[in-house]
Amino acid sequence: MAQKKVDVLIIGSGHTGGMAAKILTEKGIACTMLDAGPMLNFEKYRELKPASQLPYRGLGTPGRNPHIYQSSEFNENQWVDEKVIPYSHPSDQIYNWVRVRSVGGRSPFWGRQSFRHSDYEFKSKDHDGFGENWPIQYSDLIPYYDRVEEIFRVTGSTEHLPQYPDGKFIEDKAPWSGAMQRFVDAGKKHGVPVTKPRSSQGRDGLAASLNLLLPDAVQTGKLTMIPNAIVRQITVDKNTGLADGVTFVDRHSHREMTLKARVIIVAAGTLETTKLLMASEICNSSGALGHYLTDQIYGAGIICSVPEARDGKSRGITGGGALIPGFRNLDTKTDGFLRRYAVNVSCSNGPFDPRALPYYGAELDSKLASYNGSSFSTNIMGETLGHYDNHVTLNKQVLDAWGMPTLNIATRYTSNETNMTKDYIDTMAAMATDAGFEILVKNYEFNPPGFSIHEQGTARMSADPKKGVVNQWNQTHDMKNVFITDASVFVSAGWQNPTITMCALAMRASEHLAEEMRKGNV
Amino acid sequence: MKRRDFVKGLAVATATAGTAIGQQKPAPQAQNPAPAANAADQGTMAVNPAAASAPAAQDRVRQQAQFKTPNIPVSQPDVVATTDTRYFTPVRYATLVHLCEVLMPASNDYPSAVKAGAPEFLDFYLGASPAEEQKLYNDGLDRLNADCMKQFKTPFAKADMKQADAVIRPHLKGWMNDHPPRETHVRFVNLAHRDIRTVTLNSTAWAMAADAAGERTPGVGLYWSPIDPGIETWVKHGVAQATPTTKHAHS
Repeated sequence: MAQKKVDVLIIGSGHTGGMAAKILTEKGIACTMLDAGPMLNFEKYRELKPASQLPYRGLGTPGRNPHIYQSSEFNENQWVDEKVIPYSHPSDQIYNWVRVRSVGGRSPFWGRQSFRHSDYEFKSKDHDGFGENWPIQYSDLIPYYDRVEEIFRVTGSTEHLPQYPDGKFIEDKAPWSGAMQRFVDAGKKHGVPVTKPRSSQGRDGLAASLNLLLPDAVQTGKLTMIPNAIVRQITVDKNTGLADGVTFVDRHSHREMTLKARVIIVAAGTLETTKLLMASEICNSSGALGHYLTDQIYGAGIICSVPEARDGKSRGITGGGALIPGFRNLDTKTDGFLRRYAVNVSCSNGPFDPRALPYYGAELDSKLASYNGSSFSTNIMGETLGHYDNHVTLNKQVLDAWGMPTLNIATRYTSNETNMTKDYIDTMAAMATDAGFEILVKNYEFNPPGFSIHEQGTARMSADPKKGVVNQWNQTHDMKNVFITDASVFVSAGWQNPTITMCALAMRASEHLAEEMRKGNV
Repeated sequence: MKRRDFVKGLAVATATAGTAIGQQKPAPQAQNPAPAANAADQGTMAVNPAAASAPAAQDRVRQQAQFKTPNIPVSQPDVVATTDTRYFTPVRYATLVHLCEVLMPASNDYPSAVKAGAPEFLDFYLGASPAEEQKLYNDGLDRLNADCMKQFKTPFAKADMKQADAVIRPHLKGWMNDHPPRETHVRFVNLAHRDIRTVTLNSTAWAMAADAAGERTPGVGLYWSPIDPGIETWVKHGVAQATPTTKHAHS
């Protein structure tokens, strides 16, 4: 076949690649999408199964997915196997790089918490002097957040908190359960806002690019989707200095192929995107590529029992969840740490977690029966700081199964995260005590970097070409026909799950690109 | 096919084809059917001649593709067989068996960890696990035994319930998420407890007990099969396979 030059090539089919495909094709622009993984087939690859029929009785294949705490024996096949696509980190700087390679990327598997950033994040340097501000502000994204929330069908409640901007929600009007109301009241005493969670409902139980974004692009007849295409390199036209396409490898046969493109959107997921730019030796005139890696701390928390809900009396007392948006370092400064943490609150009327109960045998059975339906727990989502030294480099000595260089990830947390966690545990414990809960576990230990699967930065956004990789439109400073739409462009992490902001940025960047293409500027 | 049959077949096909052209009639089926003439079937012919060469063969392939798997109920091997043990030393294994007896005895309708084959399963599982996890178990079992010998001058495997409780209970701690206690022996006791519970609750014996008690099937989850595995290991990629032929090689 004669080779043709495609209008827009999108690398990656997750939330931001999907959003770019939807927006551009709906404007009549033909897009070709490459994904490194296979097409998913839910009917073929998934089935309900009891753990007694799994080879390892639910313990998981020994030694498999050592860096993926989210992996279980039920889902261990959905993650990227690090033996197939290795990565490395210094021995004292553990990093959990959690990856998925299949069409839709990680979008079928995300936690669906859906928050807007505020100017406390976009203008974070103005508040505390650390890092850089984003070259955009909250008002720039409002119209896009509105549309993204409608697509994802976000539930939530209107709170009128400046650090927690309201949106186009399916309003959550459910009353608090008794225990949750007590915790809300305890929060008021401590100056801590306890709000309803905000979550994407999606459609039919899924809130992925696969069902919310890509079908709209397919409907236009303008999308060509090619799975199993592992991009090796973005190629450059020596005459113009612009990107002119990619070379990629077929996942099954390892056949190498070339594709020419007028515009390239890189949406491979933060670190995959940066790895590809590094392997292509492009877009790093700033020296910022690969640096300022950040994410959020998870894993620290408390587990409690609500005494009145025990022994079969949980009805009306327990149930529901809450979100505590960042409340520190807003108008005052907290000793010991910069930025904010949010808290996921869960109040369950289901089975009690036996790990929280230091008993065994018949005594444990008795406790589990009594405590059933009385569970209350909190988990942290804390912003970490994107230091310059938190960085990735290309490792050409260790290659993956397709002969590609791998990534070395060197990042570490500091006392900022430790102090933040201590403040969080102590505050939650005080609130739980005031609410009358029995505290069973207080865990000050948070997970290693990467665990939250919210890696951000390494190709950050800046109006200054000397400080960032992309401009305020997600367009690379070095090549006007290369755009990056995933969270690698984030300047700071915030406490928020990044997906809704990623999608809003991708929507905005895609509309800007369409207009620039119409004008002939790209 | 013997050579004379092959030649005979060719001769029949050739003669038939010639006659058919002359008479303008469909040719009768040859012993060796004529290759498919259209482009689509020629593609299949190139891959698998036996499947592509005749309409009947193509029909067979289509029929096979539509065939639905017969419903033949299958059982787990644990229904009829036991797991061989071969990893832990006899002393450690005896300690593990007793730990299972102590931590998870039988309850009203459900089997004990020992009845559910937990010790054998953990012997198998730890034998296949990374060295770090093996060390945690080996050291932990040794420590349990040593503590029991020190306090009661009896091996843990022969400790009564009160003695066993005395060496286990001080190390039980509540924990959450992915953060078992840090101190090594406390970590072992709590992780071993979790593992013993997990492999007991997810055993065939437990599932059968639930079934017998009229309870719903325990531990059901959404299992993902391997997704279109793309790794092949028998072809070397990425470098030229053939050494370029030089002029000297021909001379």
